[in-house]
Amino acid sequence: MIELSDLRKSYRNGARELEVLKGITAQVDGGELVAIMGSSGSGKSTLLNVLGLLDGFDHGSYRLGGQDMGGLSERQAARYRSTFLGFVFQSFNLINFKTAVDNVALPLYYQKVPRRERNARAMELLERVGLTEHAMHLPSEMSGGQRQRVAIARALVANPRVILADEPTGALDSVTSEDVMALLQSLNAEGMTMVVVTHEQEIADACHRTIRLKDGLIEGAPAHV
Amino acid sequence: MFDREKWLEIAHTVVSNPLRTVLTGLSVALGIFILVVMQGLGFGLENGVKAQFQDDATNSLWISTMRTQLAYKGYKPNRSINMDNDDADALLDHADNPDVYSRRLTLWGSRIAANGKEGSFSIRGVDPGHLELEQTTLVSGRYISDRDVAEKRKVAVIGEQIRKELFAGTGVEPVGSYIRLRGVLFRVVGTFNDEGSRWENQVAYLPLSTVQSYSRAGEPVDQLILSTGEMDLASTTDQTASLAAFLRTRKSVHPDDDSAVEVRNNNENFAQFQSIFDGIRLFIWGIGIMTLLAGAVGVANIMAIVVKERTKEIGIRKAIGATSASLVGLIVQESVSLMFVSGLVGLIAGVWTLEFVAPQVDHEFFQSPEVNFRLTLSALGILVLAGALSGLGPALRAVSIRPVEALKDE
Repeated sequence: MIELSDLRKSYRNGARELEVLKGITAQVDGGELVAIMGSSGSGKSTLLNVLGLLDGFDHGSYRLGGQDMGGLSERQAARYRSTFLGFVFQSFNLINFKTAVDNVALPLYYQKVPRRERNARAMELLERVGLTEHAMHLPSEMSGGQRQRVAIARALVANPRVILADEPTGALDSVTSEDVMALLQSLNAEGMTMVVVTHEQEIADACHRTIRLKDGLIEGAPAHV
Repeated sequence: MFDREKWLEIAHTVVSNPLRTVLTGLSVALGIFILVVMQGLGFGLENGVKAQFQDDATNSLWISTMRTQLAYKGYKPNRSINMDNDDADALLDHADNPDVYSRRLTLWGSRIAANGKEGSFSIRGVDPGHLELEQTTLVSGRYISDRDVAEKRKVAVIGEQIRKELFAGTGVEPVGSYIRLRGVLFRVVGTFNDEGSRWENQVAYLPLSTVQSYSRAGEPVDQLILSTGEMDLASTTDQTASLAAFLRTRKSVHPDDDSAVEVRNNNENFAQFQSIFDGIRLFIWGIGIMTLLAGAVGVANIMAIVVKERTKEIGIRKAIGATSASLVGLIVQESVSLMFVSGLVGLIAGVWTLEFVAPQVDHEFFQSPEVNFRLTLSALGILVLAGALSGLGPALRAVSIRPVEALKDE
């Protein structure tokens, strides 16, 4: 599903150029649940940005669902984001003045799905994550766990190929964390490909496989020069 | 342009953030409101001052005499200078443009009676030219004629106030009926209304010669009014000086004694007021531009803050599939429509204020305030444009931030 080959990315900081990803080669198959671990500064956030098409890369190749993601225009990237990818963030990132159902339906608005249809689809997803009764609530009226489930429903609403989760349990207590992980695992069991960035070993243990990053390289892989 | 979904999205955002909406809207609405009201008040002031000039013809010279203030040729000061028909004739001979003129002799506080009613009014002896020079509007009948003056006829043209007090409710038609004036019956030949002055409506105009016959000696004249016709301002100034000098010489008055012989040049007065109007207009423009500037700066400020506040929302929308262009479009369209609606609210409130509040202000120098719609609408346009431009910068900056940075932390 995801194929990375010698992926490199550097940021310019004044006159100095800082290479953050120094040649990542990795593969995630369809239906896999993969954890990416690494200390801060290891490049895992940058890798997630690149995977999520929120940022470009300088060198190498990135194929998503068999399609090349190199050199996309702003518009193409936005379209692939909305059709191929679903995001789950640490701080939920719901729009705080929109109700749960409106938040879940928003990605479909950007795919120009008619209002009635996208609300019906959003209600389906809310049912899937067990929040039907909270459909008309604002994020501020829900607990952290509920908000994260709304965010997961939003990530799923457009039928993405891959879900990218950035520290999905980072802001939750351990009991709620387990609930959210169980939800992600059950979605994975239904065939959804998932990449979870985390620094918690427990979360990584709940995944099939872990990719460890250190200093912009995958640990254990031979460094390219 | 008309995308129902987009408008629904905008309406929802606007309604869901009432404080932000009200703050943005208020600065625009207030700016337009102040602009409309100031414009209206300015026009009201100008109209009021202009109306004062409807009293008399603006192209006229008013010659009058009083007591001397300076000693001259052996005469002591404080000597009373009086004009009579001979002086008036001499002045007319001397004048460049003697076609339209009127001598005046006024008797203040005369009792007039008719239809069993009585009141204290003034009577004024005039020549036919007085109709034009005093800017009198004849309501019915005719004015004083040359023959009236030549034959010292006992005829009167009465003011609106006299007509009201002596004829209203009696069913008697004033023209053709008689009034008793100092024990003598006068036939009313006309009625008039002087819109420039309420005072003038309490006067009855009589032939000059008739009023002169009341005086103990001679043929006195209070004032001589001359039209300057089509003469330009400089010529009227020369004419004024020339007539004053002529009359001072004739009356042995010191050449600098402005008090004894005064020639008032309405052309000059009007020109002065014209420059005051220009000043008022400049003042209004100044206020308008300042208000607009303050409004635009306020709107720009608010837009910068609003967009900053929405950086996270922009990041979220971007992560779930919005393009930068659609986000900038959304923000700009939202701010433009918000400001347009608020501007209209301010415009309506301003017009309402001028329509219903301003008429309560009853003052001679303040009449019929007007709204300059073209100016106001262009002001609204400028504000909306300022809002769109000032929202555009921060919006472009916000969408250029990488979503992951925008979303990083609360």
